[in-house]
Amino acid sequence: MNFEHYSYITDNDFKDYLFFSSGPKGRIKKGVVYTRIRDKPIVYNLAFGDVDPVTGEIDDNIISNNLDRDIVLATVANTIHDFCNRYGNHYIFATGSNPARTRLYQMNISRLLDEICIDFEVYGVIGDQEYKFQRNVNYDGFLVKRK
Amino acid sequence: MPEVKKSTAKGGGPGKAIVVEKVDSHANDPFVVKKVARAKEMVSKLKFSDSLMK
Repeated sequence: MNFEHYSYITDNDFKDYLFFSSGPKGRIKKGVVYTRIRDKPIVYNLAFGDVDPVTGEIDDNIISNNLDRDIVLATVANTIHDFCNRYGNHYIFATGSNPARTRLYQMNISRLLDEICIDFEVYGVIGDQEYKFQRNVNYDGFLVKRK
Repeated sequence: MPEVKKSTAKGGGPGKAIVVEKVDSHANDPFVVKKVARAKEMVSKLKFSDSLMK
C-alpha cells in the first residue's frame, strides 16, 4: 500500500511490532502481534490494538479516534510485508474482538480494497468457508496472503 | 520504546521495519491470548479449497 504510514519497530523475531499513532488525542502506542494458529495451510493470526498506558497490554476495545485511520491501517499492512519477508507468504487471519469491530475492519478493507489487492489476495470468512472478498458482504473474519 | 535503529527488514517485499535489539512481546497479553484462541477455533473449521492450499 502506497499510503503514508508510521515508522514502526520490531526485533529479530519479526512477530511483535510497535508504533505510535499521532493525532488530536496525542501519541498513542499501538501493537501488532503475529501468532501461528494452523498448519496445512500455515495460518498466522494478526492481533492489533492500542497498548494500554496503564497495563502495558494490547487491547483492541479501546477506540482511540485519533483521526489517522488510514495511516494506521497502512502501517499494519506494512508490518505484514515485514512479517512475510521473514516467514514467507502464508495466510494471515484477522477478526475483530466483537462484531462491531469486525464490521469496522470490513469497511476499511472495502474502502481500500483496490489498493490492498495490488499486493494481497483477500478472502472473507463466513462460518467454515472462505470466499474471495467482496464489498457489501458481512464476514466473520478475513484472510490475506501476500501475492 | 527503544530508539536504537539497527537496520531495516530484509527480504523480497517492501517491508520498512526498524529492527531493534528487543521489542517487548505482547503475545501473552490476555487480549491477544483470547483472540488467538478464538481465531484458532474459527480457522480450524475452514476447509480451504484446493486452489487455496497452494
